[in-house]
Amino acid sequence: MAGPAILTPVRAADDAQPIVDEAQRRMTTGSERYAGLLQSFNADGKTSEKRWIFERLGSHGESKTIIHFTEPAEVAGVALLIVNHAERASDQWMWTPALQRDRRIALQDRSTRFFGTDFSFEDLEERVAAQYEHTLLDEETIDGGAAWKIQAIAKRTRSSQYTKQILWIQKSDYTTVRIDSYVKDEIVRRLQSSKVRVIQGIPTAHEMVMTDLLRGSRTRLALDKVQYNLSLNASDFTVQALRN
Amino acid sequence: MTRILVIATAIVFWCSPLAAQVPWAPGFMEARGLLFPQKTPNDNTQAVGDFLWRQEGIFKPASWLQFVAGADFRANTHDQVEDVWRIDWEDRGPRPPRISVRRLAATITAGRLTLDLGKQFIRWARADVLNPIDRFAPRDYTNVIDAEFLPVIGGRATLQLGPETLEVVWLPQLTPSRMPLLTQRWSVLPPEATGLSIVDLGSDFSTRAQTGARWRHTGGRFETGLSFVDGFNHHPEIETRVLDSAGTAISLTRTYPRIRSYGAEFAIPTRWITFKAEGAYFVSREHTFDEYGLYVAEIERQVGEWLLTLGYAGEVVTSEEIPLAFDPERSLARSFIARMAYAVDPRRTVAVEAVGRQNGDGYYLKGEYSQAIGELWRLTLKPVVIMGEEDDFLGQFDRNSHFIAALRLSF
Repeated sequence: MAGPAILTPVRAADDAQPIVDEAQRRMTTGSERYAGLLQSFNADGKTSEKRWIFERLGSHGESKTIIHFTEPAEVAGVALLIVNHAERASDQWMWTPALQRDRRIALQDRSTRFFGTDFSFEDLEERVAAQYEHTLLDEETIDGGAAWKIQAIAKRTRSSQYTKQILWIQKSDYTTVRIDSYVKDEIVRRLQSSKVRVIQGIPTAHEMVMTDLLRGSRTRLALDKVQYNLSLNASDFTVQALRN
Repeated sequence: MTRILVIATAIVFWCSPLAAQVPWAPGFMEARGLLFPQKTPNDNTQAVGDFLWRQEGIFKPASWLQFVAGADFRANTHDQVEDVWRIDWEDRGPRPPRISVRRLAATITAGRLTLDLGKQFIRWARADVLNPIDRFAPRDYTNVIDAEFLPVIGGRATLQLGPETLEVVWLPQLTPSRMPLLTQRWSVLPPEATGLSIVDLGSDFSTRAQTGARWRHTGGRFETGLSFVDGFNHHPEIETRVLDSAGTAISLTRTYPRIRSYGAEFAIPTRWITFKAEGAYFVSREHTFDEYGLYVAEIERQVGEWLLTLGYAGEVVTSEEIPLAFDPERSLARSFIARMAYAVDPRRTVAVEAVGRQNGDGYYLKGEYSQAIGELWRLTLKPVVIMGEEDDFLGQFDRNSHFIAALRLSF
């Protein structure tokens, strides 16, 4: 009886990896830019709003991302540089104009909420399929569409605050519509993506809602003016360029 | 002037409109109230009101060109702002100017090379509280415990070669750190100065330029850097001269010794802590200047929304001349440093900073609670406790414990 119990997850893992790889392939672009609106809602329903410009150069595992906050006035000019790596967690630096200096975000900082939102620094990193062990758990209907339910566990080389994540990938267009993130056996964060529109051939969710289930707060990220494969300068994705 | 305008206009129209960005003008107005529970021998004022309007403008007409301009307007109820209506460019006076140019600079990027020209901030620091390698970052010590950085005038060229950054700085003149005002509580005069008439003769500046270079490696596993500066100590030495035969009047002149500094820095992020350190060794040909090394070593740890920093600031003196000087950096050395910050929620933060001398002769404890009100306002409350022995740099300010309430409108 022990044989099938061991074999089942191995077969499931074999099934999951091509799905995740295909989802990643379909989303792969050379660069990306969008204007983001972040709205945070705490348990009492109070909100705060922040706007940023997001730019990415390169793709999965070899990309650099820079986020420039534009509103409100007191965070305008704050910038974050994320250098993603294929085999390990990203390197991140933050520029604070009030201090006129950059600060490295240390590895242990990534579970910290990003600027008071419900996204942690780790949640802002690009998701690279090769950094996780995937297992197909089930097939479910979500948001009215058929989806694969896949478990992702970070490999040892990728330091993660999460014990595991459960992904729901739509069968129709391979978009990831929901990610539940666990610490031990408890769901701590839930990311739901919606309002998918095809931009330059890429199915793109224009709304993401991250819910912190422990705090009872949530943050909505709305994407606007999404562009892919635009010409961006590598020199704009350095620690030096953060201050410009 | 006409030629400059024509060239500037040509540059703006020459730039590709596709890369241009809409001009952007962030700013804020802040009103602060400071309450001091105790009087001091030279200052009876216990309540001070302060106002700052900071307005900046940023214009990026092309991807390779950016202009930044900024100005400060200040007012103060305790004569801590220069009472002259003029636009100050140099920031060299004993009081903060009423209107000053905070930034006026152009940034030109050509591939891996970036040039920053004009009035700007140059920060090399890696540690907190004390920054020995920050040689181009003078501060305004009108309030010693809450000192703001001052911009400098000059040029900076930065060459980015992958993870390596080479930076060369040239400043045609020194911008000094601003000393506390002689007639106010942050200037603690020795008992023998009681009854003396002090004539402030201002500062004696050299006309020589300052230069500096820094190499920085920004790698995934660690960061490190080396720097060299040939310039001036932006903290003043004080030259005194007796003005009358009875010895009842003295003059005071600030001088800024020419120095060379050799700096080193590194940061190693690990899974549990980040280890940061920076240090510099200072030498001078001037006979009044000590030769010494300053260093800071810190560990930093983020635990959820808590950021904890613990460190030590040390000093090694290799040649001692004991000049009369105002140098808070050196004076804060041989101290333990602790900082703790907590993000309560998206709108509220709490922080505590403590510095204690290793001999226990002086310390300060600074708290900060900050809360956003609506989308535009922020209230900040800062209690500061200072205690210690009279002959200690921190301890001498033990009558200067205070409370600050600040309300800021950002726009």
